[in-house]
Order: sequence, then C-alpha cells, then structure tokens
Amino acid sequence: MIALIYLLIFMPMAAALLSYLIGRRAKTARDAFVCLVVVAEFVLSLTLHTLGWGDHGVISLPGICGMGLHFTLDGFRAIYVSIACFMWMMTGLFSPEYFAHYHNRSRYYFFNLITLGATVAIFLSADLYTTFIFFELMSLASYVWVAQDEKPAALRAAGTYLAVAVMGGMALLMGLFLLYHETGTLMIAELPAACEGKNLYAAAICMFVGFGAKAGAFPMHIWLPKAHPVAPAPASALLSGILTKTGIFGLLVISCKMLLNDELWSTFILLVGVVTMFLGALLALFSVDFKRTLACSSVSQIGFIMVGLGMFGLLGEENSLAMQGTFLHMMNHSLFKLVLFLTAAVIFMNTHKLDLNEIRGFGRKKPLLGFCFLMGALGIGGIPMWSGYISKTLIHESIVEYIHGLQGGHFLPGILTEGHMHAIEWIFLISGGLTLAYMCKLYVAVFVERNEDPAVQRAYDEKKPYMNRISAAALTISAAVIPYLGASPHETMDHLTDLAQSFFGVEHAAHVALYFNWINVKGSFISLCVGTFVYVLVVRGWMMRRELSGIRRYVNRWPAFLDLEEAVYRPVLLRLLPGVLGTVCRIMDGFVDVLAKALIAIGSVLAGIADIFVDGIVVLLRRTIYRDSPKPAELEEGNALTHSLGMLLNSMTQPLNKTFRRNREEKRDFEHWLVLKYASFKENLTVIGRSLSYGLVLFCLGLCATLLYLLISAFLK
Amino acid sequence: MLILSSVFVPVLWGVMLLLLPEFKSRGRLLTVSGIGLSLAACLGLAAMLGGEPELFLFSFGSNLSVYFRIDEVGRLFAAVVIFVWLLAGFYAFEYMKHEKEEKRYFGFYLMVFGILHGLVFAGNMVTFYLCYELMTLLSFPLILHNRSKEAIMGGLKYLFYSLFGAYLVLFGLFFLNKYTTVLTFLPEGTLNLDAVAGNETILLIAVFSMILGFSVKAGMFPLHAWLPTAHPVAPAPASAVMSGIIVKVGVLGIIRVVYYLVGADFIRGSWVQTAWMSLSLITVFMGSMLAYREKVLKKRLAYSTVSQASYILFGLSLLQAQAVTGALLHVVFHAIIKSCLFLFAGAVIFKTGKTRVEELRGIGKEMPVALWCYTFAGAALIGIPPASGFISKWHLALGALGSGIPVFSWLGPVVLLISALLTAGYLLPITVQGFLPGADYGDAAVKKKEPGPVMLLPLLIFAVLALAFGLFPTALTEYISAIVGGIV
Repeated sequence: MIALIYLLIFMPMAAALLSYLIGRRAKTARDAFVCLVVVAEFVLSLTLHTLGWGDHGVISLPGICGMGLHFTLDGFRAIYVSIACFMWMMTGLFSPEYFAHYHNRSRYYFFNLITLGATVAIFLSADLYTTFIFFELMSLASYVWVAQDEKPAALRAAGTYLAVAVMGGMALLMGLFLLYHETGTLMIAELPAACEGKNLYAAAICMFVGFGAKAGAFPMHIWLPKAHPVAPAPASALLSGILTKTGIFGLLVISCKMLLNDELWSTFILLVGVVTMFLGALLALFSVDFKRTLACSSVSQIGFIMVGLGMFGLLGEENSLAMQGTFLHMMNHSLFKLVLFLTAAVIFMNTHKLDLNEIRGFGRKKPLLGFCFLMGALGIGGIPMWSGYISKTLIHESIVEYIHGLQGGHFLPGILTEGHMHAIEWIFLISGGLTLAYMCKLYVAVFVERNEDPAVQRAYDEKKPYMNRISAAALTISAAVIPYLGASPHETMDHLTDLAQSFFGVEHAAHVALYFNWINVKGSFISLCVGTFVYVLVVRGWMMRRELSGIRRYVNRWPAFLDLEEAVYRPVLLRLLPGVLGTVCRIMDGFVDVLAKALIAIGSVLAGIADIFVDGIVVLLRRTIYRDSPKPAELEEGNALTHSLGMLLNSMTQPLNKTFRRNREEKRDFEHWLVLKYASFKENLTVIGRSLSYGLVLFCLGLCATLLYLLISAFLK
Repeated sequence: MLILSSVFVPVLWGVMLLLLPEFKSRGRLLTVSGIGLSLAACLGLAAMLGGEPELFLFSFGSNLSVYFRIDEVGRLFAAVVIFVWLLAGFYAFEYMKHEKEEKRYFGFYLMVFGILHGLVFAGNMVTFYLCYELMTLLSFPLILHNRSKEAIMGGLKYLFYSLFGAYLVLFGLFFLNKYTTVLTFLPEGTLNLDAVAGNETILLIAVFSMILGFSVKAGMFPLHAWLPTAHPVAPAPASAVMSGIIVKVGVLGIIRVVYYLVGADFIRGSWVQTAWMSLSLITVFMGSMLAYREKVLKKRLAYSTVSQASYILFGLSLLQAQAVTGALLHVVFHAIIKSCLFLFAGAVIFKTGKTRVEELRGIGKEMPVALWCYTFAGAALIGIPPASGFISKWHLALGALGSGIPVFSWLGPVVLLISALLTAGYLLPITVQGFLPGADYGDAAVKKKEPGPVMLLPLLIFAVLALAFGLFPTALTEYISAIVGGIV
C-alpha cells in the first residue's frame, strides 16, 4: 500500500518532467506518453480499492518540510482519488485533439501532471500540513492552465485566479497556525479528540476562507466565472470538477473533524451555501457564454453541497441522509462537469467561439454530442433516473427532516427557526428550477435552434467528423456513467456512501428505501415547474431581444456594475489599500531623512543664534569699553600749496607744448599729479609714523634723550 | 592561529591587491583574487570547524581586550558568511567585467571577508564593535564602486547611517560595561545583578539604544533608509552580500547584546520588548508595501530586505524559543534567497541593461534558467511550501502564538501573512510576465541571453538550496533549536 500511494502521488510528478523532456524532441510521442500516464494513474487508483476500504493507518515521510508528510487511505479517499484519476484520464484522452493547434503544449502537460499528483496527494493527506503543502502546489501549478493561451483576457483571469489562490492560501495558513496552536496537532484523525472544548471559530473562519476560495463559495467565487471561459476546456473540466472539490474536502475536515455538529458553524455553512447556491444559479441564468454558464453553475452546485454540509452539522445524530447527499452531490457534480465541459471542448475546438449567439445551432445533426450533453444537463438538473436527482433528493430530504424535527420538538429551534428553514427549502427548490432553466437555455441554443446566419449553419451541419474516435469514446463513457448511477441508486450509490461514511464520522447510515416515490419526486417536480416557468417567461421573454432583422438574439441582461471583482475587490485591493497604506509607508520611509534634514536646519538656525550671540557681545563691548576712536574726517585732496603750484605748472605747460615740446606734448594735469604725490607722501608719513621701527626709533631717540639728560644733569652737578 | 589567519590573511591579501600595480591581464587579477577568496574561505571553514575554541589577542586595559571565541551561533553565522561571500565573489568574476577598477573591488571585498571572520568569531563586545566599525568603513568602497553621483551619495548615506548606529551602540556599550561583570558573550548574559539593582531604567535605555544602533544595519524602521538608496547603486554582487550578509551582521549584533550580554529575561515584558516588537512589525509591513509599489527591481529587492530582515528581528524580539528558532532559520534562508534574487537582478543588468520591472516582460524567454532560479527563490521568500521560507515563517508564527504576549501573539502572524501576500504581489508578477509575456509577444525574435556559467552556477546553487532547505529542514532546525535551547 505504501508503494502504491507514493506511486500515485509522485509518479505523475516524475512523468511531468519526463513528458517535458520528450516534448522537446517529439510532440506525438509526448501526447501518447501523457495519455499513457493518466490511464496508468487511473488503473493504479482502482487498485487502491483492492486494499479494502477500512482504516489503513498513517504512512509518513518524516522530516520532509519540517513536520513530515502524512498520507492515509479510507473509503472516501479511495473513491475520490479514483474520481480524480477518472476525470484526468478522460480529459487527458481528449486533450491531444483539443490542443492540436495550441502553442506551449509541453508546458501545459507538465503542469497538468504536476497538478494531478498534488490533487491526489490532497485527497490522500492524513494531516492538514500535508494538505496545505499540496494545496499550494496545486494552486500554483493550475495557474498555468488558466493563462495557457496568454491572451489579455486569459492573463487577467489568471491573475484573478492566482490572487484568490494566494490570498486563500495565506488565510488557510493563518487558520492552521491557530488550529495547531490550540490543539497541538494537525493530524486529521486526531482532530476530533483534540478539538474537544476548544474555541476554534477563528481558526475555522480562516480555514473557510482558504478552502472556500478554492471551492468557489460566496464571496470568494469570483475566479470561477472569469477563469473558466478563458481556460482550455479540458482544464476547465478539472478546475470545476475536481479542484473545487479539494476546497470542499477542506470544508469537510472542518465540519466533520473540527466542529462536528456545532450549531453556529453549521448554520454559517448553511447560509453561505444558500447564498452561493442561489447567486450562482442566477449568474448562470444571465450568462450568454457557454462556458461561463457552466462556471456559474459550478458555483451554484458547490452551494448545494454546502447546504448539504450545513444540514449535516445541524442534524446531529440523524445526519446520515445529509451526509449521503453531500458526498453524492460532490461526486455527481464532478461527473456532470466532466461531461459538460467536454461538450464545451468539442464546440470550442470546432468553432473557436463560446458566445451562445455564435455557436447557436452547432449541435444540430450531431446526435452523439446532443446525447452526451443531455446526460449532463439532466443529471445536473436533478431529473429522476439521472444521478443528480438522488443527491439533490437526499439533501432536500435532510432539510425536510430538520423541519419535521423542529415541528415535533425533536430539535430545539436555535438560530434558525422553522420559518427560516421553510424559506431555505424554497430557495433550494427554486435554485433547482433555475438550474433546469439555464441548462435548457444552453441545450435549446446549441442543439435545437438554427444559427442566425444560414451559411454558418450550413458549415456547422457539414462539419464531419467533429471529433476523433478517442475523444468521442472519452465523452461517451463520461456521459454514460450518469444515467447508470441514476437508474440504479440502490445498487451503486448506496454502496459508495457506505464506503465513504467513516470519513464523515457516520456509522451504518440508513438508506432511503425508495428514491422514486411521490414524496421524493415531488421536490424534483416543483423544481421542474419552476424551471419551465422561468425558461419560458424569463429566458425566452426577457433575455432575448428581437433584432431589426427579425432574429431573436440572446442578450446579457446582468447589470455590468454588479460585478464583485471589478466593483469591489480590484479597486479596493489594487488601488485603495495600496494607495492609502503605501502613502503612509512612504511618509514613514522618508521620516528619518526628513528628520535629519529638519535637525540640520534647526541646528543651523540655533548655531546662527549662538553666532549672533557672540557677535552681540563683541558689538556691545565695542560700543562700550572697546569703543573705536571717532573716524577721522575725510582728508582734503591736497592743500593750498599743491593747488596753486599745480595751476601754475599747468598754465606753463600750455605754451611749452605749442613751442619746444610740440613733438612730445606734456599731457599731465599737474594739479592732480601734485595732489597724488602729496597724498602718497602723507601716507608714507603715516605708515612710517605707525610702523614698529618708527616706534623703536622714537623709543631709541627717547632713550638717547634720557641718557643725554642724565649725562648733562650729572655733568652740571 | 586559525582564527587569526582567517582574519588577517584575507585582509593582507586585500591590501596587497590594492597596492600591487595594475595587472597586465584580467586573468591574472582573477587568479590572484580567486586564490585569495578560496584561501579565505578555507581558513574560515577550518577555524569554524577545527580551530582553537578561543584566542586572547591583546588588551587595551582592564575590561577592554581583543578576544575571539567560537561558539555555536558564531559557527552558524560563519557558515552563512563564508558560503554567500564565496559564491557572490565568484559571480563577480564575470559580472565585474562591465565595471572599471576591478582590482579595487576585489581588494576591498577580500578585506571585508577577513573582517567578517573576526566579527562572527568575536568573543566579546569590544572585539565585535571594533570589527563592526571596520566592516562599515571597508564595505563603503564596495557601494560607491562606480563613483557616479548617485553611488557616492548612496555610499555616504550608508556611511552616515552606519556611523550613527555605531554611536548608539557605543553609547549603550558604556553602560553595559558598567553593569555587566564581563563583556564576554556568554549564554544567559553576564549582568552584574548587584550593580543593576535600582538602575534598571538606565540599563533598559542603554539596551534599547544598542538594539536601535545595530538595527541600522538590519534595516529596521526608523533607521532603514540607507538600504533602498545604497542597494540599487552598488554592483549586483555587492548588493547581494549587503542584503545577504551585512544586514545579518546587524542581526548578530542584536543577538549578542540581547541573548549573550543582557540576557533575554532582563528585557522580557519591559517597554523595550514592546517597542522592539512594534518597530519590527511596522517595518515588516512597511518594507513589503514599499517594495510592492517600487518599480526599480533592485530597489524593490532592497525594500524586500527591509521587510524580511524585520521578520528575523520580530522573531528575536519575542524572546520565545520557537520564534528565535524561526528567526535564525530565516537568517540562513534569507541570506540564500536574497543573494539569489540580487544575482538574478545582476544577471539581467549584465545581459540586457534593464533595471525596471516593466521592462522584464518576456525575460523568461531570453534567460529561462535564471528566471527559474528567481522563481524558486521568490517562492521561498513568499513562503510557499515546500520552499524554505515557509519553514522559517511557520516557526515564527507558531512562536508568536506560543509566546502569549497580548495582541502581538496574534497580530504578529497576521502581519507576517499580509506581508507574505505583498511579497507575492511584488515577486510573482516578474515571473508571470517573464514566462507569460502574452500572445502578442514575438517569440520568433527572442534570442537566448542566458548568462555564462560563472554567473549561472551561483544562481543555481542558491536556488536549489532555497528549495532543498525547505524539503529537508530537519537537520538545520535541530541544530538551531539546540543553540536556542541554551540562550532562551
């Protein structure tokens, strides 16, 4: 068993690398190799069932990633691994034809197989640490699916997908931190005992955001309607059919292992489920894009599953019906979406369009395709004899059972009263009706109506073969499973629930004796009536518009501003929060630099003041003690002597210039010249008078005079 | 002798390089530098593994001596220093081809290598402080290497911030000298409780000033601003070692002060711890946010370092065993990861001259191996399992929850995760646009621009290690837990 489990997880990952290497040499060989791998994986997953479905204990790879990886196997896990591998096999067999004209196929296959290994590992994980590690790996690897064709819309949707995945991953991690801190274990099997009496709502909410984001629960459902239309259809089938179920797997762990039968938590899950279920169906009804409708339908069906899970928690001891409904609807939805998205794949690979008005009439004269689509549509619509009827009936039954319990006093009305439950029952039935209506819309548009352009219709009609044999076989087998399960519920589905029940903590679940009696069929009948009513009045009446040419076209009546992603998430997360917080951070970032500059400025002002202070003292001193002598008056230029002498010389030069000095005229102004001479003479006198040597000379003269005086006085005595 | 030679041989080798005349050929320069680098690394390794446990060199006075002692924390940091310094050094052999004055670069590079050995092997605070200052001064020329105006201004900013920090440390050191029995690093601290009695406040202020002083190198708000200025202007391998190693030296300083001199018990529950936790958490968020809004790749990575280094500081500030384990793990992982990211940025600059993020569209078609390395390192930095950053963050968050400190015990993990989200926001788009440039991107015109093996090999080694430590962290975690067990 150990080898088998490791093989299941790591074989696809090793094969991924190998396929990439092969793909660099030979593309056909690579395609064949990938098909071989997915088939081998499915066969391996079937051999899991030969091991028996009981508890197999835990297999560990100790030390890997710190806490070690832990895997285990039980009935539920074995079944879901098989379903995952079945879906991978069918989409894998379909892929060579679908991707024939794509670029970068090796990249797609590489990440496809990595995701396969990671997804299988999630379903086999025995502790939430392992779950988380592979959950992240799966999210990142599947990102490449969405971005595969690299068109702007695809890259944008892929960005949304990645953002939701990363944010969800962070929330999940926070939840795990809290859970591990409270309980000291992440082993799923140990959780029920460890969680006894602990307050785990904070952890559960964080984990809900993480797992719910992947599952597509409101309000984290935004990635589904964006990512599915742009992703390659086989990838959409996997995203919708299996990857969302890994999220549900996580929610199951919360509801069945951590907060089993917790009323507050179950009510929360139930209400979120109701909103998701109804909103998804409504979005699907409005959509005019084939794959977008299917994507919104996935959101809605996840809501159905969550309603079942909520009822499972509320019903306490009597939860076996809800458990069966939840589990079977999980499984059925995977199978429906496989068929439906493969149909979409056939349409897209022939027409390269998905708008209902453009692909209108494609399915005419293609009975096989029509049959396969119808199986999926009837299944998801919950029509008796198809498998969806069984799971929806079980969930409906559990709601009814709870209402009866409330009426009979078996359950005490808590948060939800009987009136609330009646409302929920009606929303449930109406959502079922909406499911039928949008499936009807797709079927009529593609398989019944004619295209508005006769030339296009002719081209559609003449398209043969529209898929190769392998693709056709994959599609047909996927479709045939649905009525087979639906027609023999006691032989097939009851057994499956018996195998899965231990995971839910249910033992010896009681089965519904008769699925096809009037009480059970009544719910389906109400949905059918609602669906017919909605289709005829709303879809045909309001959602189609007659053009000038007289042709009625499908129009999208959904108000464009009602888009959670564009109206709320993107503006808030990409502009508002980074804008506001970024500005705050920018201010903090420059804080010290500004502070340093401010300090320098203040310092220089202070220093200036200090500077002035010292200067002030000097000024004060000069005004008082060290007063300067008064500035001498401006000296006159020259004196009377220089002026008169100068004028005399000037008057003499005039005649001389005209006579003796005619050749070399005297041009000097003697008056000015003499003034300068006089000034320089005076300056020299001043300089001499102030010089040290002059002082010394005077000093010397003084000394000599003194000496002379002494000598004279001595001599006279 | 081994300790001494591990310090002085690289320093002397570096001095020799600087003094020698210009080499005739580039090959000779690389040979001489390469021998110096390898020798230094070998001596460092030998000292770390088999050297004498302690070495008393000389004394300035009563309590002031140059003294080396090799302990477990020192070994851990020594291993990181030697490994990253060596690889980034060899990377520079090719990268520095497009810068001038390679001789000067390698000369100073070797000198800092020697000083770093002294730092990690320092046995007391005086030695540590001495080497710390020397490291600041000698690494200064690495930053302003190309001597453009921006580079010189960036280098000066680095210098002034570092000196300011060093003075804060010195201020605290005076008081520590008074209130400790010795300044030798001993687990549990060396406080002289008789002297401390009655003087707790002044000692707390001293400790806080030392934490702040060392946090300049570790880039903690409010003294982080040199990082985003200095990193983009330095040559890429220098940026790598600054983020990888020099930032970590600040962390080591704080570890030495808090856990080996003062002792964790002294500041537990005090306002110093609260302030330290608050500042580091603010930095974690602020760094990521600014990195998210930054458009120049190397500057973005510098802001990222600001944020990530504060993950470490936050872990240390909790004074709780698991959180400190996480912090030390993050020291190792961040050194590896951030070196890888900067070397990628360098490879892009070297090959294409592109520095801005939006120019990197389609880079994965031109240099796929380098971008894969970047992607793995980036995933590790974000903390996506099974890459290494996840392991350290796991311990950090659980340590925070386990510390039981009101508010911070849950606020810490929340901020760490929001920052991780922003990290994804600033790292992943480069991978995404690099590998998925859009359908209109001309595939045909793409020319392979993969860097040569000398640059690619360090990148690959770092990337593989970033992943491998995440897959097999047990041995390292146990080693670090053992260290932490002795000090907390």
